[in-house]
Amino acid sequence: MMAGGLMKRILAPAIAAGLLALCSGPVSAQSAAQNGDAEKGETVYIKRCLQCHGDEGDGLGPAAERLNPPPRDFTLGLYKIKSSAFDADLPNDEDLFRMVRDGMPGTAMPGWSDLLSEQEIRDVIAYIKSFAELEGTPEGQVDYGTRVQTSPESIAAGDKLFHADDRCSECHGETGKGDAIKKLKNDNGERTWPRNLTKPWTFRASNDPKDIFARISAGIPTTQMPSFADPKSSKKLSIEERWHVANYVAALAKTEMVVRPENTVIQAARVEGELPAAPDDPVWKTAPPSTFFMVPQIVGKSRFFTTANDTVSVRALYNDKQIAIHLEWDDRTRSIPGDDKARSIADAELSEDAIAVQFPMTIPRGMEKPYFLMGDAAKPVNLWRWSSGTTEAPERITMLDATGIAAQEARDAAATSVAAKGSYKAGTWRVVMTRPLRTETVDRDLQFEEGQFIPIAFFAWDGSNSESGTSHGMTTWYWLLLKPTAGAKPAISALIAVFLIGGILLWWGRGAAARNAGRAS
Amino acid sequence: MKIPRLLQAALVLAGVYFGFVVVFDVILEAVIPASLLVMYMFFVTAGVFMVFTYDEDQTRELVAPIKALVEDPAKRLWRNLVFAIVPLAVGGATYMQMQPGFEAPLELRTIHPAPPTTAKIYGKRVNLLQLENPFRKLEKEDPEQFRELVNEGAAVYIRNCQYCHGDKLDGQGPYADGLNPTPLNFQDVGTIAQLQESYLFWRITTGGPGLPKEAAPWISSMPVWQDFLTEDEVWQVILYLYDYTGHRPRSWEHE
Repeated sequence: MMAGGLMKRILAPAIAAGLLALCSGPVSAQSAAQNGDAEKGETVYIKRCLQCHGDEGDGLGPAAERLNPPPRDFTLGLYKIKSSAFDADLPNDEDLFRMVRDGMPGTAMPGWSDLLSEQEIRDVIAYIKSFAELEGTPEGQVDYGTRVQTSPESIAAGDKLFHADDRCSECHGETGKGDAIKKLKNDNGERTWPRNLTKPWTFRASNDPKDIFARISAGIPTTQMPSFADPKSSKKLSIEERWHVANYVAALAKTEMVVRPENTVIQAARVEGELPAAPDDPVWKTAPPSTFFMVPQIVGKSRFFTTANDTVSVRALYNDKQIAIHLEWDDRTRSIPGDDKARSIADAELSEDAIAVQFPMTIPRGMEKPYFLMGDAAKPVNLWRWSSGTTEAPERITMLDATGIAAQEARDAAATSVAAKGSYKAGTWRVVMTRPLRTETVDRDLQFEEGQFIPIAFFAWDGSNSESGTSHGMTTWYWLLLKPTAGAKPAISALIAVFLIGGILLWWGRGAAARNAGRAS
Repeated sequence: MKIPRLLQAALVLAGVYFGFVVVFDVILEAVIPASLLVMYMFFVTAGVFMVFTYDEDQTRELVAPIKALVEDPAKRLWRNLVFAIVPLAVGGATYMQMQPGFEAPLELRTIHPAPPTTAKIYGKRVNLLQLENPFRKLEKEDPEQFRELVNEGAAVYIRNCQYCHGDKLDGQGPYADGLNPTPLNFQDVGTIAQLQESYLFWRITTGGPGLPKEAAPWISSMPVWQDFLTEDEVWQVILYLYDYTGHRPRSWEHE
């Protein structure tokens, strides 16, 4: 072990450096110049990094238990994102450089390129490595071979490899949503969840096939994501096969369900006839979804920092009598309180999964709305809250009047004719809520109106992530618009404009012609 | 070659328009409401018209090409073409204009509203005009203790504030994208550098719900920090905000 470690740490890099110097003089000269100065790096670290990663570099800054994932513990010297070979202990400096410069999406680690110079980043990397006394360069690299460009054929091949013998789907699930029922733990014994591959904005490096290829090849150290380049692995893949899988995974990103910041309005189209009341009704596919970020409830008492879900996608349709709202969000587990299997997967006491839609009780006529977090005393809100049911009770919808996060009053949902139906499939919940456009309780329930911008907000609870009560995810206010049918008005106005302008020009032209004629005679 | 005056006027208008787009949309990347651009161009057009019709000769020169088009029999073909296209273009524009719009209503709010003179904070009535950061004087008197207080402020900030305002204090915390309005960027010269420490104390302790109506308290996701932090912790965080960004708080003195 000692000798092996010595061999790895000192000799191998020396040989590698010698080889590098032989084959590629300018490159090695450049990397030598790029080497950081750990002493200078310490100053940068104290100012910029210490607050989260701790003065010992152990990741135990003051926010550690409120962050998921927590800040990296540098004393272990292990890094998840690396492009060195699967059996190399060290990552490349370039890997660390990228993480510091660009940050890690889906975590609290920002990109530092605006505040730190390239040299400062190199210095801080040298300092960070000193926490685990990491020295030298890794003894092997991920072999990218010849990149296979993405194509329908490559994606199809990747699809097959992904599912064959449950190679990737064992953990990442049939549809890549990380919903497979395998309990995963990291080296520290902490529960980890496989990546939901349909959410590219949560990929710590990026979802470019080249990055995915590196993760498949080198594995993700400290987690249960193995290397598929390891010749000893029974699920081993060739370079070409890994490119196919990388192209397939990159293609799993569902562009339709991506947050578009400029899209703040859910447009409900008017349909003739019945509204689709079933969550899996194919009619819903025809309505474009609006996807919004969900953030943890860290505003009101009691704050909760580590929600499991980060987006909700919303569709809406209406007819002359009713409105239907379709909510879709990914959840790795179906939480059924009372169910032993569900509890063993969740590894915790279960609550029901739940989602709520929030409306003001009346459509605001001015700018003023109720407080976005469940209303206020002056402006109460309606919450339509659906919960998934237990082994004893079926799914149900509750109507709540709220004047604040701790001030909710349940009401008989049936009396307001709010109804809901949910369905869980392959890591995704789909719920449809319906209500008549108008109710008799005019002063307590929102009355929907065509063409009006109606404030709408969402709350969600993941029951297997200890989310219940005030612990939940939420959005701020967005808008719901019952799209009015334009009718003949634009066409008629356009015709009037054409005739009016045409008439004036004609009159002008004729007048000029008459004057010309007069002058000529 | 002399450029016809009508073309000159058109070029000036086009120049102003594209200049506006280049400066605001491209360089500053600011979102300028279309209605504002329309109003701006209305005044520019009126101004250009006034300049180009300053006296009669100039006016005549300006409208000469139009007059010629309508009256000159030799330009008949062009005239008919223009007379056909213009009404159709106006009709098309009207049609588009009359389509129902799905743009969200604009919500104009004051980001830094005028503070009240007094506010109820931590159960007592505080005069914001006289309020000072009790730790500020240590900056000169006891730099070592001051540094410690800044570090404590850093810990409070990282534990409580960075989720939205970011590790870099740039308003780009991990949850910033899910909030509207977005968290303030303290690195920007337009935020804490323009404010007094008492103002920050008021904004932090009373949070979104403590805002006056012109600042739309109902959409601000700033928590009411007097429910979560002690008075000292708030003052320490304020020290940290200025220390990290290098900005200085504004004060009544030295101004």
